[in-house]
Amino acid sequence: MMTPHSAPVTFAELLGQPWLATLLGVGAIMGFLTLNVLFLIWAERKVSGWIQRRMGPTEVGPFGTFQTLADMLKLLSKQLITPAHVDKPLYHLAPLVVFAPVVAAVSLFPFSPGVSISELDLGLVLVFAFAGIGVIGIFMAGWGSNNKYALLGAMRSVAQNVSYEIPLILSALAVVLLASHPEGITLAAGTPEAHTAPLVGTSLAHITLAQEAQGYWFVLVQPVAFVIYFISALAETNRAPFDIPEAESELVAGFHTEYSGMRFALFFFAEYTNMLIVCMVATVLFLGGWDGPILPGAVWFFGKTYALLFAMIWIRWTWPRLRFDQLMRFCWGVLVPIAVLNLLGAAALAQVL
Amino acid sequence: MANPVKSLAVGAKALLTGLGMTFGEMWRTVVKKKAVTLQYPHEKPKLSGAYRSAIKLIRFEETGTHDCVACLACEQICPSFCIKIDGEKVEGMKKQRATTFTMDFALCSLCGLCIDVCPTTTLEYSKLYDEAGYGRDWKMDLLDPYREGEEQFRVEQRAREAEAAAEKARAAAAAKAAKAAAAPDKATGAPEKEGEA
Repeated sequence: MMTPHSAPVTFAELLGQPWLATLLGVGAIMGFLTLNVLFLIWAERKVSGWIQRRMGPTEVGPFGTFQTLADMLKLLSKQLITPAHVDKPLYHLAPLVVFAPVVAAVSLFPFSPGVSISELDLGLVLVFAFAGIGVIGIFMAGWGSNNKYALLGAMRSVAQNVSYEIPLILSALAVVLLASHPEGITLAAGTPEAHTAPLVGTSLAHITLAQEAQGYWFVLVQPVAFVIYFISALAETNRAPFDIPEAESELVAGFHTEYSGMRFALFFFAEYTNMLIVCMVATVLFLGGWDGPILPGAVWFFGKTYALLFAMIWIRWTWPRLRFDQLMRFCWGVLVPIAVLNLLGAAALAQVL
Repeated sequence: MANPVKSLAVGAKALLTGLGMTFGEMWRTVVKKKAVTLQYPHEKPKLSGAYRSAIKLIRFEETGTHDCVACLACEQICPSFCIKIDGEKVEGMKKQRATTFTMDFALCSLCGLCIDVCPTTTLEYSKLYDEAGYGRDWKMDLLDPYREGEEQFRVEQRAREAEAAAEKARAAAAAKAAKAAAAPDKATGAPEKEGEA
């Protein structure tokens, strides 16, 4: 569904060539994601160091910021080892299948009013769909590696991802219900940026606009959904305390045990980009996206996103890993019922409002 | 697990307590700058008084040099045979002077017997730190810091000893003269003392 444009200035129209705009957009996304991954790994190492009363990397560059760049160059220059008994097509394809959807998903986000690579009215659905493809890649890696640890890690990952996607989407649906509310649509349509966003509850830009227009962030009316979303997001990204797919004390490295060099780097890249994606979704759904006073929208958007990412890193270095049965019981016994009840409540709330 | 709400609340509280604790540690490290680690090549730890590294010769303040007399006590007591000393008798000086004092730190077990046995207490542990290397060549010349001042020390020491000898000779002569002068009075002097008593 396309909204009538009052001032239709998109990047593609400015350049006159849609493919050129797409190319530039993909290039920009790749550059941004690379920087983001380099930064996040550095931040992870710094924060873990601080929590353990260490300094983290300090040697390469100012405050050790080039440490991850050096690590990346090392990985790039390493020999790509293909073990003898792997299932070659699956083994070679898996890193790409994990890697490609996360890059595609990032291009859907509205970073600032009217600024996004690709604005779709089903943006939220597509983000979750891309997240689902990543699971296939992980299982391809585990199966193709022909290694018991990799396979166990992949099976755990699939079971966990499929299970936690349910509370994740249920909690996101609560927000979609609120954003689809007629009043929200009317209010959002009245904002100056409305022409950039389709007026549908599943459009990421529209969800942001609805929060901006209503004057409160959805985390205030849906705190339970936010908590459930964040917990499920930790599990979706295979982060501690739900990082059993790569529990190093049991499974070496889980599904990427047999990968080395740049293929391993692709998995790593995807893992950290997935963190970014779930945090960006949380920012849009619950924390009002670019909405915020004084500072430009992009600053607010990324400020919120990186605050959530910091929380993820903080949690990883604080809490111990769950056992697999605990993990599953927590999902099906606690999160899913609460999420369903919360969704019913949100539906009632949307009717009452 | 009787009350699921209560157990959830207890669990959530425990998790938040954990987060608070790790945040406190972060705060202590970043804001109060109290990391427990040392930035190894750039920072040196505060060495304790009992720190033991390779032995060295003590520089005494009075003479400005060591006091090794090449008695070989340390060389003989060393269980690892890592000390090699040569000495010479210097004309005009009472004590011998060491001319070589090498120590193979690769063999040394830092037992400290040489330090205990030194009659002139001129040995002590140095505070050498960060002495990792690529080979086993750890022959240390302990006299190296003293070579330059050795000649001057010998000149001064000979002068001092000559002065001291001359002084002693003068004192002996004076004492002898006094004794000689006092001798004639000895017969009369004795009863006087008795009278005092």
